[in-house]
Amino acid sequence: MTRDQIRSQVEEVFREVFQDDALQLEEQMTAIDVEGWDSLTHVNLIIALEKRLAIKFAAAEISRLTEPGQNVGTLLDLVVRKRSKPA
Amino acid sequence: MNPATHAIDRLSDLSQQFLSSEKTEQAPVLKTLLTELRQAITEGRHGEAAAALRQVIVPSLDYSSALSLHRIRKDLRGKAAMPASIRLAVLGGFTTTQIAGFIDLALFALGIDAEIYESDFGVFRQEILDPTSGLHEFHPQVVWLGVSRRDIGHRPTVGSRENGAVSFVETERQEWAHLWSTLNERVGCHVIQNNFVLPPWRSCANYEMREDGTVSRFVADLNRAMSDATPPYVTIHDVDYLAAAAGRWTWEDPRFIHHAKLPCAPEHLFDYAHNLSSLIGVQLGVTKKCLVLDLDNTLWGGVVGDDGLGGIRLGHGTAEGEAFLAFQEYAKALQQRGILLAVCSKNNEDTARDVFLNHSEMLIRVEDVSSFKANWTDKPTNLRAIASELNIGLQSMVFVDDNPAERAIVRQLLPEVSVPELPEDASGYVEAIERHRFFQTLTIAAEDLQRVEYYRADALRREVQTSTADIEAFLKSLNMVGHISPVTAANLERTAQLIQRSNQFNLTTRRYAAGDLLRRLADPSSVSATVTLGDRFGDNGLISVALAAANGDALEIDLWLMSCRVLKRGVEHSLLNHLCAAAKARGLRILRGEYIPTAKNAMVRRHYAELGFTEVAGDDTGRTVWELNLDGWTPFPHFIHLEAPATV
Repeated sequence: MTRDQIRSQVEEVFREVFQDDALQLEEQMTAIDVEGWDSLTHVNLIIALEKRLAIKFAAAEISRLTEPGQNVGTLLDLVVRKRSKPA
Repeated sequence: MNPATHAIDRLSDLSQQFLSSEKTEQAPVLKTLLTELRQAITEGRHGEAAAALRQVIVPSLDYSSALSLHRIRKDLRGKAAMPASIRLAVLGGFTTTQIAGFIDLALFALGIDAEIYESDFGVFRQEILDPTSGLHEFHPQVVWLGVSRRDIGHRPTVGSRENGAVSFVETERQEWAHLWSTLNERVGCHVIQNNFVLPPWRSCANYEMREDGTVSRFVADLNRAMSDATPPYVTIHDVDYLAAAAGRWTWEDPRFIHHAKLPCAPEHLFDYAHNLSSLIGVQLGVTKKCLVLDLDNTLWGGVVGDDGLGGIRLGHGTAEGEAFLAFQEYAKALQQRGILLAVCSKNNEDTARDVFLNHSEMLIRVEDVSSFKANWTDKPTNLRAIASELNIGLQSMVFVDDNPAERAIVRQLLPEVSVPELPEDASGYVEAIERHRFFQTLTIAAEDLQRVEYYRADALRREVQTSTADIEAFLKSLNMVGHISPVTAANLERTAQLIQRSNQFNLTTRRYAAGDLLRRLADPSSVSATVTLGDRFGDNGLISVALAAANGDALEIDLWLMSCRVLKRGVEHSLLNHLCAAAKARGLRILRGEYIPTAKNAMVRRHYAELGFTEVAGDDTGRTVWELNLDGWTPFPHFIHLEAPATV
């Protein structure tokens, strides 16, 4: 799967989890930019991403994704890396 | 076809499609279904949306699907008719936000509108012990102690079982028991207590269960000690079973335990909520009483009408035959613990019965089947006939059929009947049914183990009745012997169970739990009466309950119910006589009764009128209040010989 294909799948998961059919992913987006992205929905997002893309995040990665300096771009990088070596 | 009918069919088709598609192919179906459900709600078609939503709430739902469906459930709050409601407090040792939503969803599927109070995580002890806490303010009917192994306070280490003079197990058990009794005394609620999950790892490897003080040995001993010593107002929620059934390594996902304090892996969370909800459901009377079985390719492989007695596959020797035998073993085990079995099959009756009578490998015998319908009538009609023959509601039935078309038509025409999806392979039947927890129960009473006997005796009574000229002669010929006694420790569990299960002959449908009963018995102004009835055909066990309390110069009956098995036998007359005597013995002048209508209790709408009461009040919900003046009142005649003099 190319980064673009992964991106559109991730975007679809975001739309479902945050219940916004118009949501457009941008590389620079962070949790602050997405309405409803809190610690609770973060867990929902991770669970949905794992299922849709058949990947597994490490415990530390789950926590790190919401830390400063992390954004949708770094999330996509992580997913692309994981997809290239199946869980 | 008009557009509205088309929309109903569309929703129903989509939910059927969701149920029958493979797990990996459910996502797109769910997406369409969610869109259609939202559309239906927007257009005000709440009943249809609720019916379609209920169909797809199955225990195997994955985390994300359960979340999406719960959003729909929230959109329907207050809009769809709900037969029952519950005030539930969720006290968590872990994060309960997600599971509380899932419990709400699973209860919705059972027709129960839940109002849920959630404590912050980890403060359950403070919530219980502090009388000013939000929990106390909420006045829950049920409190769930959602705790895990991490909430155990006293742990031994390997080689040490004692904590001072007392074992760690006993020290720990007493602390939990103290929380239960505090809840019962101060909040007066029923308590559901999680047991603890054995971890997948073992410090002593294969020797773990033999070595004192290991985690698994300790947790197993504690679980046993807690469930052996539960008071009637406590139900132990067997979470350890869930973990074992799922597989201990897959049950725990440490990543989500550490990051989000979830109690188990996300994929098992809805199943967990479903299990808990089934316990709440059974407390409110939502449970199944009868398993209705198709025959060809359900109880045996092949079609007996075509393949013949020797051609069907059943029994040892072939994998297919053994799979059907294993399914029969499961159904028979349910029957032995009190679930009624019925047959509903498109067959010639003789051909079908021949298998039961003459196939050497049939495990289920004719006498195990309480209602046998093998004919060419459609299945919904036969299911109605079975329900009326057994005197149970359609909502008490589970219909098992290998034919998807039969399942679909029953789901559509009789939505009250539960119709589990079956795999094509018979070796998957047991799991497909068992996972739904249709036959959840809080206790097993002697009555359960004898139920089939009761129903068989009923069939004999019916025969005599048709051959006897008049009703009085029939009742006399039964030689009925009754016994009226207050609720006691000995009949408490059966009484509570009857209160949970009775729907039709039930004047007020108040679902008092065992804990409520205990509290009432301690109140000197209260009167309780239970009736057991036997006759020459057999024992019926405890079949009727009434609860009343003195108020001013009246004895007020707030609960009166009876098993429909003993309708029109004079039990209500003997019980009325008893209540009048109890009232008079207390110097009271009036007996007051109440009728609260539900979807199922129309048969007792005129109960008090028939007993000579006068209607004194009523309101637009259909609730009516009745009074009987005891001055100059004379007891009703009946044909039940009351054995021991009843104490009033």
